[in-house]
Amino acid sequence: METDLVIVGGGPAGLSAAITATSYGADVILIEESFSLGGQLRQQTQLHANLPSKFFAERGTSLVKRLTSQLETPNLKILRNHTMIGAYKNGHIGVTNGKTTFEIEAKKNIIASGAAENAWIFPGWTLPGVMTAGAAQILLNREFVYPGKQVMMIGSNSFALEVVKQLYECGISVQAIVEASETILSRDQALLSMCKKNNIPFFLNSTIESVSGSGHVEKMTIRTSEGMMEELEVDLICTANGFSPILEAFQIMSCDLTHSEVLGGWLPTYSVNFQTSNPSVYLAGNAAGITSLGSILLTGEIAALSALESLQFISERDSNRKKAALWEELYQIETFFNKDTMLARLELVKHYHSERGLPLPDFVDPLKGEMLFG
Amino acid sequence: MQMVEHPILGRKFDQEITFYFNEQPLKAWEGQTVSAALLANGVKELGRSRKLAQARGVYCATGRCCSCFLTIDGLEHVISCTTLVQEGMVVSSNVGDPKRGK
Repeated sequence: METDLVIVGGGPAGLSAAITATSYGADVILIEESFSLGGQLRQQTQLHANLPSKFFAERGTSLVKRLTSQLETPNLKILRNHTMIGAYKNGHIGVTNGKTTFEIEAKKNIIASGAAENAWIFPGWTLPGVMTAGAAQILLNREFVYPGKQVMMIGSNSFALEVVKQLYECGISVQAIVEASETILSRDQALLSMCKKNNIPFFLNSTIESVSGSGHVEKMTIRTSEGMMEELEVDLICTANGFSPILEAFQIMSCDLTHSEVLGGWLPTYSVNFQTSNPSVYLAGNAAGITSLGSILLTGEIAALSALESLQFISERDSNRKKAALWEELYQIETFFNKDTMLARLELVKHYHSERGLPLPDFVDPLKGEMLFG
Repeated sequence: MQMVEHPILGRKFDQEITFYFNEQPLKAWEGQTVSAALLANGVKELGRSRKLAQARGVYCATGRCCSCFLTIDGLEHVISCTTLVQEGMVVSSNVGDPKRGK
């Protein structure tokens, strides 16, 4: 199978990249492991605000439809239920649908593999009824299945509180939110007041002592701030321990990795063009550092423009002008979400360029590595 | 337990189907994954771990953690949270190691 560009991953970053690339006339193959496109958007009933200017605030579930409706073009081939499982000696990727395995002869690759939730390990964490917050959200909003009747949330970041809100709105009783540190991690005022209004208690300075039950979760014991043990009857324990980039596809393509706590742990190194150390591989979305949906959509567009430029679908001048505007929007949106994320991203990009003696574009301060926007 | 109407998304599924888990016939909605359909029927324990025989169920629901392995239509250790349930599908718990070789 031959194509100009292969995009691995049909979540928001991959979809954004596919829309951009096909709009310039490139032939694109989009590989998606799942039976449907959209990635995490498919279960996000929350309203996403602060998106790039061409979007408006909407739920993830409806944004999927908006994005996929822009993919009905003859130069795009979508392979659902296909997984990238290796690379051939010539550098092309190999994919499989479980029955046949074949090579995709693409001139460039964009990997938008997304992120996975980090597990949370405690005695009893493998018992059915213990699951990630994201799993509970999938069951609730995609499968229309109640993951339990009485839930305990472990972790108090914004994602944890968002899932608590969605569980509560579906009629599931929220027993408490357990947080190991002395303050609630989320600073989202709307979510915090939702918890307050619905009398959802927080156990701060608290950790899980154990989880028990016969074949599934029935009880859990919490060690609270005063060292007291509190036993609660729950049938669902959700954990929100943050996300990390999914790396297998980059490892297959021999891309260099680096570590950044702020960006979610290990991740590929990349340039201002979202090009990895393997010149045929670009990246986008949460794989390039855990961030908000607005940034995910923008990085997909920047990666696609960079690949299009190298394939001569767009001139260097036009591409650079567009990329400068996209980086500016990325700076605004990401700084609003979390300035540390943007600074860590710029640090990573600056390092990639200085290691190779590559000049940084005009919009990045060559000394400080910060953006030069108004 | 199955939700009839989602408070935000309303109704989504309309085609009811039958599948089998450990020889018991169960109802599901077309478009659901196997593991979600089982959870909707109150099945939390999908299988047992191979070494210590501890209960295993849905953990990540995205096809990465492999906690939801099941035998589906004769194929062992299938990730059930990313496999769509189908009419007449025969599903059973995994016990022990997968068969290897021919």
